[in-house]
Amino acid sequence: MNTDRDQPDKSRRSFLQLLPFGVFAGVFASISGAAFRFLRPRLSAPSDQWLEVANVTELSGAQPLAKKVVAEQVSGWAVTTAEHNVFVLPAKNNQVVSPICPHEGCEVMWEQARNRFSCPCHESYFAADGARISGPAPRGLDPLPTRVQDGKLQVQYRVNPDQERATQA
Amino acid sequence: MSRPLESVSHEKTNKIAAWLQTTGGIVAVLLLVQLLTGVLLAFYYVPSVDHAHTTVSYIEKVVSSGSWLRSLHHYGSQWLALFAFLHVARLFWNEAYNYHKAHWIAAVLLLLLVMAAAGTGYSLPWDARAFFSTRVAEGLMGGLPFFGRYARYWLLGGSEISTITLSRFFALHVLLTPFVILAVVAWRVFRARCWSNLNHNAIAGALVFVALAIWCAKFPAPLGPPVETATADYLPRPGAQFLWLYETLKHVPGALGSIVGVVLPGIALAILASLPWLRARRRSIGGVVLAAFAVVAVTMTVAAYWSDRHDQRTREQLARQAEQESVWRREPFTPTRLQSARTTMQAANSGGPPVLYIKFCVDCHGPHGEGARRGTLKFPPLLGVSAKPQRTVEDIVGLLKDPPAYGLQPPMRSFSDKLAEPQMREIAQWIVSLKK
Repeated sequence: MNTDRDQPDKSRRSFLQLLPFGVFAGVFASISGAAFRFLRPRLSAPSDQWLEVANVTELSGAQPLAKKVVAEQVSGWAVTTAEHNVFVLPAKNNQVVSPICPHEGCEVMWEQARNRFSCPCHESYFAADGARISGPAPRGLDPLPTRVQDGKLQVQYRVNPDQERATQA
Repeated sequence: MSRPLESVSHEKTNKIAAWLQTTGGIVAVLLLVQLLTGVLLAFYYVPSVDHAHTTVSYIEKVVSSGSWLRSLHHYGSQWLALFAFLHVARLFWNEAYNYHKAHWIAAVLLLLLVMAAAGTGYSLPWDARAFFSTRVAEGLMGGLPFFGRYARYWLLGGSEISTITLSRFFALHVLLTPFVILAVVAWRVFRARCWSNLNHNAIAGALVFVALAIWCAKFPAPLGPPVETATADYLPRPGAQFLWLYETLKHVPGALGSIVGVVLPGIALAILASLPWLRARRRSIGGVVLAAFAVVAVTMTVAAYWSDRHDQRTREQLARQAEQESVWRREPFTPTRLQSARTTMQAANSGGPPVLYIKFCVDCHGPHGEGARRGTLKFPPLLGVSAKPQRTVEDIVGLLKDPPAYGLQPPMRSFSDKLAEPQMREIAQWIVSLKK
């Protein structure tokens, strides 16, 4: 009966039984540490590029005008060129609003007959000046930075207004 | 009939023998490394000839820990091939083919699968080295007796190397081979539940991983120039696990290369896998196959290193390539401009470059013919080129067919195999319209 001598042998054995799992866990942890950095999203600063919308002389009337702008975006290893819709509000001193619904990011459309913007996804509605009327959207349509240069209205396009806050944080 | 491996050859397993029996643990750890790093690399890699090199460059230069993880995957595959072979040799020494058939067959299959995974993975970065290795794989398959031509077409996904080829290699590398490897490992684990020297195996696996991690932190995985910018004097060299094949193919004429590179290794592995069912002389047959495999691999690998070191021109060219790669690593990453179909249409409708100029020429000469810089290479602008001698529309068409005839050197290459004459003419007409 060598119970005192058997005890350390037993605990040594149970430690050794865990060793292979420990090695696999160590390898997994080493690579996971690198993976954490490797998979971290790379946030790009909002573009400060001014994109041409239209000649100011063309912009008139009480209703929003749908326009297209072409913007370049650096996405990781690629520079992509994409066409985006924006709405110019001539009745609001040519303010330009984003068509992206502030609820879940669908693109709103202008319903001329009802004089309102409507979101096709979750039925949020916005007035002709972009203010929220009803639905789950938390606020009105987001205004985009604008300027007038050589008689042309220009805009800085933002895909996601939160992007600016995130990259500045 | 089953008994613990350590009791197979000799009952007295001394300490050195216990450490020699750790190849299984090392293979298991290296397989785990390959699996984890492979999954991570797939988050950024794009299997297309237009973007593969760019995305690998992005992993190397921009993504945090990207160079180390890619290096683990690259060198891990070479170490894995070595230890998978040593594992088979170790099991042969212990006569596992007599007592642990599942264990033995799984080890032989793993060796085959590890080499297959390495072969398909080599093409993925789509640098000049990858391109040539794909060419060699194509040649080896094409030279197989009876069904070589069909095997070549199947591997390429068509009659020529194209972006479909890269997709095939990607699917084989990241889906099919890992799935079969996992199936073999699972079969081995559940079918042959015999584990010898578990702790020695674990410690050896851990030590090899630490050594690999340190090696990879010090030596990034190589990445050659993109295929389209590689110069004619570029010398592609395969990874360490394929050096024996590269050197052997230097000494073997024509289609015999397929016999040496595919058929003989295939027969050797088939013989090894069938050892448990041979009725007699298992030891001597298996021993001859393994010894021949080892002698050829070691001799040819040493010969490959030796010939590169002892030929002055080769040595100088390889040193130049290493220096160019080192310069490339220090340069910042330049994102690739993607042309959406809409933008391409707009360009075509607004006096912009022809669609095929965007496809084949824009990377080197710029979207407006303004020239470009890629790595250490500077590509000339095309603006005002019609004012130069020998640069009429006819000349440019001729130049696209045969650049050396117009005094142009690589990386400018012939587009005879890519463009029909009317397409060349369309590009040439647009180029001569460019003003400074």
